[in-house]
Amino acid sequence: MHFDPAVLVDYWPLLLQGAWLTLQVSVAALVMGYVAGIAVALIALVPGWLPGLVTGFYVETLRNIPFIIILFVVYYGLPFWRIRLPATLVGTTALALFASAYYAEIVRAAILALPRGQFESARAIGMSPANAMWHVVAPQILRALVPPSTNMTLTMMKESAVLSSITVPELTYQSLVVQGNTFAPFEVFAAVASIYWLIAAVIAEASRRLERSVGAVQADGDSRNRIADRYLSLVARRT
Amino acid sequence: MGFKLDYLLSILPRLIGAAAVNIRLAVIIMLLALALGTALTIVRSLKIVYVNACIAVVISFVRGTPLLIQIFIAYYVLPAVGLDLSPEVAGVSAIAFNSMVFVSESMRGGLATIDAGQIEASTALGLPPHAIWLKVVLPQLFRRIVPVLINEATIVVKGTALLSVITVVDVLRTAQQIASSSYRPFETMIGSALVFLVINLVISLSGRVAESRFAAARV
Repeated sequence: MHFDPAVLVDYWPLLLQGAWLTLQVSVAALVMGYVAGIAVALIALVPGWLPGLVTGFYVETLRNIPFIIILFVVYYGLPFWRIRLPATLVGTTALALFASAYYAEIVRAAILALPRGQFESARAIGMSPANAMWHVVAPQILRALVPPSTNMTLTMMKESAVLSSITVPELTYQSLVVQGNTFAPFEVFAAVASIYWLIAAVIAEASRRLERSVGAVQADGDSRNRIADRYLSLVARRT
Repeated sequence: MGFKLDYLLSILPRLIGAAAVNIRLAVIIMLLALALGTALTIVRSLKIVYVNACIAVVISFVRGTPLLIQIFIAYYVLPAVGLDLSPEVAGVSAIAFNSMVFVSESMRGGLATIDAGQIEASTALGLPPHAIWLKVVLPQLFRRIVPVLINEATIVVKGTALLSVITVVDVLRTAQQIASSSYRPFETMIGSALVFLVINLVISLSGRVAESRFAAARV
C-alpha cells in the first residue's frame, strides 16, 4: 500500500467538474429551499389549527425520512404526474425540498424569538401584516438567521453526495467513476474528501462575510438611535 | 400507471421485516458512538496539546465531508490497507465514527454547564479522577444530553439507509429489489419512507417521555 497522487493526473478535470456541479446544485437548492422554507414558516404562523397542522406534517415528514429515500420518492414520483426532468434537476428539487423543512423551522424559531409586541405595535400603527413582517420583523431576525442557516446549508451540501445514486454527475459520482477506472481508492477518496472540505470552508467563509454585512445593517440601527438622541437632546435643550 | 394502495400494503410486511436490519445496526452504532464519544471526550478533557490538535483535525474532517464519502472510505479504502471488512461492518464503523464525533461535541458543550465547584469539592474530598468522572460528571452529563442523543439516534437511523449503497440489504435495498421485479418503484419507495417515518417518530416520542422523566429525576 503506497500513496501515489500521480494516479489522479488524468482525472483532475473530472473531479473539478463534479465539484463545480456540487457547488451549483447546493446554491440552487439553497435559494429554492429558502424561499419554500420562508413560505412554510409564514403559513405556520397564521392563527388557527389548520395551518400549524399542515406545516407541522410537512416539516416532520421531511425531517424523519432519510434524504436518499426522499430523493427516490421524487425521482420515481415525478413521472406519475407526467413530469420528466433531467436527473440533475430532479436531484436539486429533492435537495431543496429536504432543506426547506429545516429552513422553515429556523425561520419560524427566529420569528417566535422576537417579542410579539414588535409585530403587534407595527399592526397597531396601521401597517399591513406583510409590511409589518417586511419592515419590522425581517430586519431584526436577519442576523439570528445566519448561523443556523449556515449549518443547515453545510449539511445540505454534504447530503448532495447522495445525488450520485440517481446518476447526477456531481463530485461523489465522479469519484466513483475515477475509482472504477484507477482502482486507487485511497488517492481518490483522499482527494474528494479534501475537495468537500474546501467547499465547506468556502461556504463557512461566505457565511462569515454575510454575518458581517448583516451586522452592518445592525450598526445602521445604532445610527438611527443616534438620530433619536439628537432629537431628545434638542428637546432637552429647549427646556 | 396510477398509484396502487393495495400493492403498497402488500409489500409493507417485507419492508417491515427489513427494518429489523436497520434497527439492529442503528442500535449497535448508537452504543458504539456513545462509548467512543465518551472516551473521546475524556481524552480531550486531559488537554494534551498534540493529541487535541490531532483530534481537532479528525473532527473537522468528519464534520466537513459527507457521510456517504466516509462510508465509501470504510468500504473501499480500509480493504486496501489490509482491513477486509464485510459491508455491514464497514458501514457500521463509518457511521459510528461519524456519530462518535457529534456525541463528543455535544458532551463537550454539556461539560461547560457543569458547575466547577462540584469538581473542586470532589477533589477536596480526595476522590480519584476516575471516580470523579464516573460518579460525578458523567451521570449529570448523560442526563443533560438526552435530547441531543435522541436527535442523534434519528440521524443514525436515517444514516443506515445509506448502507444500501454498499450492498447491505436494508429497507431501501429491499425496496429496490421488490421494485426491480414489480416495476412499481414509486409505491415501494413510499412504503420505505413510511417505515422510516414510523421508526423515527417512535424514537422522538419515546425521547420526549424519557426527557420528562429525566427532568423530574433532576429535581
